[in-house]
Amino acid sequence: MHRAAYTDPALFALEQERIFRRAWLYIGHESEVPKPGDHVLTRLGPDEVILARREDGGLSLLHNRCAHRGARVVSEPCAHARQLRCPYHAWSYRLDGSLIGVPLAEGYAKETKLPGLAAVPRVESYRGFVFASQAATGPSLSDFLGGLRSAFDNLVDRAPAGTLTRFGGSLRLEYRGNWKMFLENAVDLVHPGFVHKSSVDAARAHPEALNGDAVTQQGAQMFLANGMRATQWDEVPLHAFPGGHVYMGGFYKQGMIAPEREDPVFARYRKALVERHGEEKTAAVLSVDRFNNIIWPNISVNARFGAMRIVRPLAVDHTVVDVVCFKLDGAPAEMHELTLQFVNLAASPASLVASDDWEIFERCQRGLGDPGNEWIDMGRGVLADQRHSDGSIVSGGTSELPIRHQFATWKSWMGL
Amino acid sequence: MSEVEALLLREARLLDEQRYAEWLELFADDGIYWIPTRPNQESPQEALSIIYEPKSLLAVRVERLSRREMHVQSPPSRTVHHVSAVEVNGDEAQSALIVAEWRAGESRFFAGRVLHRFRRGPKGLQITLKRVDLIDGEAPHRAIAVPL
Repeated sequence: MHRAAYTDPALFALEQERIFRRAWLYIGHESEVPKPGDHVLTRLGPDEVILARREDGGLSLLHNRCAHRGARVVSEPCAHARQLRCPYHAWSYRLDGSLIGVPLAEGYAKETKLPGLAAVPRVESYRGFVFASQAATGPSLSDFLGGLRSAFDNLVDRAPAGTLTRFGGSLRLEYRGNWKMFLENAVDLVHPGFVHKSSVDAARAHPEALNGDAVTQQGAQMFLANGMRATQWDEVPLHAFPGGHVYMGGFYKQGMIAPEREDPVFARYRKALVERHGEEKTAAVLSVDRFNNIIWPNISVNARFGAMRIVRPLAVDHTVVDVVCFKLDGAPAEMHELTLQFVNLAASPASLVASDDWEIFERCQRGLGDPGNEWIDMGRGVLADQRHSDGSIVSGGTSELPIRHQFATWKSWMGL
Repeated sequence: MSEVEALLLREARLLDEQRYAEWLELFADDGIYWIPTRPNQESPQEALSIIYEPKSLLAVRVERLSRREMHVQSPPSRTVHHVSAVEVNGDEAQSALIVAEWRAGESRFFAGRVLHRFRRGPKGLQITLKRVDLIDGEAPHRAIAVPL
């Protein structure tokens, strides 16, 4: 790939039009707007949109731009109202975007048909996760998610009540680098041994942390997991699916993260899950051995820890990542606390792990601005790709398969 | 100057001089270092936190700050922790904090209000809680590598 894919503002503008204004993008969770009238501000690619629960129970997604003079209609991140009213000249709208009325309506020419708030043409949910596409036609959400629908299935199946609730707000972090670096890095299993060495060594210097309280134990385990040897990382296979999606699996097999915990809280949780699914399915749900599920173009789902990261490109060299998490409805409250604490440690701007990733992204961005070598090689492991009958490609963990796969998808959406 | 004020100033100096191991020793064994995301957040169970660490994890954080392979501190930050408006009330102190940080050619600032709680033990006055409420805890931040 030419370095321009990371540095050229013209290519970035094209990405916004051809990818982020066309593909299915995650916009929020059904639990954020439970009652008619509930609405939240969110982003759909470059555009700010209002996700609203209508009177008929359905979801609307409206551009947050008054149809009159263009003012942002909603400014509260999260609110409840029967109608939306622009603060500028008081044009008012129903939650489906249709116009209720404007002041001085009698002053318009008779044949004038005034517009409502522009609605996003396609909005769909998959098991509570709401996605939208600004393309009026194209593949269904289910087809778009394809082989990685299973990431959402596994997350929802872990909830004893069968539903999730978004909670805890979000962690937001930014780096001065291209958005694609995040997706590539999240399934690059050669970097941890180098980039995360300081947190691995620090955790090794404090072995007592592994016997600390549940929060400390969970944190120490996570820091240490990055300390596997290259041969072990190779045993964490990478699975690439049509559409650019990739997941990594095999941590449980490596014994770095336990699929189940042995403590009274987990025992209560497991019992509740068995009541819902039966023993056999419960064991299957809990043993799904994956860490990051990358759904192209911009989300990463971690079902084991109830967390999701949403990558938001702001400029060719500026990216914001929002980190959110979910309660497994019906699980003991102590489980929710562990979810929050895991996300704090793994994904906060002050994370002992992630902060070194952001630093490396910023160094790459600076480096790629230099024309020293125009082309970037991503051929590591290319000889070992295995094509499976379900359309997926599988490689060992040390392969650059995910980057090649993500760029093949990128080229196809970009029409290059 | 009261004993509590002196401790707050000493803490600021230890951080600015990158004497992180000594900073850690200011905390009681059950001490907590907390930077919430939300203003008025009542508990760490209510929402995500930029940092919520018992001393056992803070020890790992401080250990890492001494490692050369900590890329996000290569080169290291230079900081000034400016502590003011100190109000002491029993075993609690509230203060205003501004941290100026310069690293790798760029400056930035953090601002917030801080709540310290203390306990008197055999080692003197020790911190049981340091809570930093940033004015922009909910905003996107670049990597935060040194304690505020």
